[in-house]
Amino acid sequence: MKKIGILLLFAAAIGCSNDADPEADKSFFTKFYDDSNFNVAYTPLDAVQTSSGGYLVLGLKRIIDSDGSSIDPGVIYIMRTDEFGAFVSDIELDETFVTPAPAFLDVNGHFYFFAMDSNGLSTQLFEVDENGQVAQQLNVGGSYPLAAGIDGTSLLLLNYDVGNKMTQMSVVSTDGHIQKSKEFTIGAGDGPEEPIMNHILRTGRLLPFQVGKTTGGLYFFNGFYNYTLSIVFTDLSADNPQGVIQGNQEDGGMSQVFPLSGGKFAAARFNYGDNYFLPQAALTQSGVTSCADLGGNPFPELSPNAPVTIITTSVGSTDRIIYGSNTRGKQIALFGYNPADGTFIGSKYIGFSNSFELASLTPTSDKGLLVLGTTYIAGRFPRICLFKLSAESLGDSFQQ
Amino acid sequence: MIRSLLALSFIVIALAASAQNNGKRKAPPSMKSKGTPQEKFLNKQFWLGFKAGVNLTEATPVTRYSVITPTNYDVSKTDKSYKSFNKIGSHATLEVTFYYKGFSISAQPTYRTSKFVYSNEYAWTNTETSTQKLELKFDQEQQLNYADLPLIVKYEFTQNKLRPYVQIGAYYSVLLNATKSVTVSGTDNASGGTNAFKNEATVVGAKDLFTNNWGLIGGVGLNYNLGNVRLVFDASYHKGMSNIANVNNRYSNDRLSGIGDAQDDLKTNNIVFSLGVLFPLRFLSNNYKSLD
Repeated sequence: MKKIGILLLFAAAIGCSNDADPEADKSFFTKFYDDSNFNVAYTPLDAVQTSSGGYLVLGLKRIIDSDGSSIDPGVIYIMRTDEFGAFVSDIELDETFVTPAPAFLDVNGHFYFFAMDSNGLSTQLFEVDENGQVAQQLNVGGSYPLAAGIDGTSLLLLNYDVGNKMTQMSVVSTDGHIQKSKEFTIGAGDGPEEPIMNHILRTGRLLPFQVGKTTGGLYFFNGFYNYTLSIVFTDLSADNPQGVIQGNQEDGGMSQVFPLSGGKFAAARFNYGDNYFLPQAALTQSGVTSCADLGGNPFPELSPNAPVTIITTSVGSTDRIIYGSNTRGKQIALFGYNPADGTFIGSKYIGFSNSFELASLTPTSDKGLLVLGTTYIAGRFPRICLFKLSAESLGDSFQQ
Repeated sequence: MIRSLLALSFIVIALAASAQNNGKRKAPPSMKSKGTPQEKFLNKQFWLGFKAGVNLTEATPVTRYSVITPTNYDVSKTDKSYKSFNKIGSHATLEVTFYYKGFSISAQPTYRTSKFVYSNEYAWTNTETSTQKLELKFDQEQQLNYADLPLIVKYEFTQNKLRPYVQIGAYYSVLLNATKSVTVSGTDNASGGTNAFKNEATVVGAKDLFTNNWGLIGGVGLNYNLGNVRLVFDASYHKGMSNIANVNNRYSNDRLSGIGDAQDDLKTNNIVFSLGVLFPLRFLSNNYKSLD
C-alpha cells in the first residue's frame, strides 16, 4: 500500500510538470488579428516592442469599395497587444494623414513614424506612447515620405518631393527639426515619377525604398536617382552623390542593404523578377556602378521582385544575419547567414494553409524574433499576423 | 446518456452481487482463511489475461487559446466548442492481478486510442452590403494514442461464480502518437449566390501538441468464473488530473496555426468499457479447479 502511495505521488509530480507556462506563451505564439467586417483590409507596416513586453503595430486599414467605384487609400492604424500577443486596443488616425513610411522607429523607448498631411502635402512626425496613443505630432515638411530609419538618436527620412520631382533625404531630430537634407533628381519628364506614385498610392508595385547609414559614416538611400532605382551614397553635404549603384529603372535594383562591420553589406537585389542574396557584398561607395554586376545567390523560390528585410540579431551566443522574404508558395521565408563570412546557416518557413506576406522583422528583448506580416484569413481577408519566435526556435534553425 | 450507462452498469453489478449473496451465502474471505486447505488456497491467486473494449472521451479546457484574435468582436466567439463522449475509441489491455482475500491489486498496461472533437465558427459580413457574408466552420477531430500504465485496487463483494467488484486506482499515460483531422465547411454568400461547401478533411500529425498525463480511476466490474478461466466485464471512469497539451508547442504546427488553431490546455475524462478473460497462474493440482 505504501508503494502504491509512492507511485501515485510520483504520477502526480510528473503530471504537475505540464502546468500552464506563461513564459512559453510569451516566447512563442502565432496571432491573426481578425475583423468581422468582410470589406476591411489591413496592411501591416512595422512593429516595435514596448517596455512592458507588449507590441505596437503600425499599419493601414482601408475599406474595400463594394461597387469598385473608388479606391480608399486607407487610414493609419495603430494596434497594441500585450506580451502574449493578445489584442489590447487600436486607434485610427484622422483620414487626412496618409502614406506612412513603413517604419516604426524605436529611439530609446520612444516610438516614431512619418506620415503625410494630405492638406498641404507636408510630412508629419508622430510620436506614439506605450499605450499606442499619439503623444505628439510635429510638422517636418516635405511631401510623400517613402522610407525612414534611425541614426543614433536622430531619424532618417526619405521623401519624394513631388513639386520638384526630387528624391529628398533628411536627418530629422526627434523634435521634428531637419538637421541635414539633400535632394537628388529623379530625372526629367513624367516617366520616373509614375512608379513612385504607384508605390505611394499602392496602386502598383511596391518598391524597396530604404534609408540608412553605413558603418563608415556615409548616408545612403535606395530610391529613384537619375531615372533609376539606385543605392545612393551621400554625406548630405555635397550636392552630388559620393557613389551610386544603379538598378535598371524600376525593373532591377537592390531589394535591401544592411551595413555590416568592415564596410561590407548584407544585401539582396532583384532583376526583372529574379531575386539574389549577397550576404557579404562589397558595395562600391564611390563612383557609379551597376547592381547587375554584383552577382549573388539566386532564390527562385521567392516571389518575383520579392520584398526583402534584413536584420542582424543574436541567436544564442552567435550573431546572425537574418533575411526575410516571401515565397512563391505564399509563405514567409527566413534565411540565416554567418556575418563573419557570409556562409549559409539555415532556413525557416513560416505559415501554411493561408497565404502569408512579410512586413517586418523585429528582434525582441528575450532574444526571440517578432515576424509581422499579412495573412489572408479564409483565403481572402487581409489581416495582420504576428509570429513570435522563441530564442530556442531561432536556435534550432540558425545556430550550428 | 453515457453517464446513465455507467450508472446502469453499476446497478446491474450491484443487483448481481445481491442475488449471489441471497442465493448462496458464503463466508467472508476473512473467515475462509481459517477453512480447509482448498479454501486457504483460494484466498490467494495471480491472474493474467487480456481485455479490450471501447472508450469515450470528454475534453475539458482549462485555459483557452486561439490564433484568431478579434479586434472588433468578443474574444469568446473564438472559443472552441467541445463535444463530450461522442466519439468511440478503443483499447487493448494486458492485465496482471494479484488477489488476496477479496482484494486485488492489478497492473493493466493498455494501448488506448481516444478521440474527441471540437469546432470553431467564424463569420464575416460586408458592412456596406449585409447580404455579402461568409461563414466558416472548422471541425477538428483529435485522435490520441497512449500507452496507459494504470495501477488499480479492486474489492470483490462475493466469492461466488459471479463476483461483482469495485475498483479505484491511478494511471499514467504515455503519448505514443496523435493526429488531427480538420474539415472546413461553410456558406459563401459573397460570390454571386449561396454556396454551401465542405472541403476534404486534412489529417495532420499532431504528436508535438500533446504530452503525457495522469489521472485517477474509479469503476465497477463483474468477474464470472467459467471453468478454469474468468470472464471480466468492467466499466470505469478515468478522471484526467493533468494537462494533456504540450504547453511549449501550442503554436508549433504551421498547418494548424495557419488555419487559426491553437491547442487549449486540456484535461480529458474517459468512460471505459472492457471485456476480457483472465487465467489463474496458481493451480492446486491437476484434478482441482483453481476456481469454484
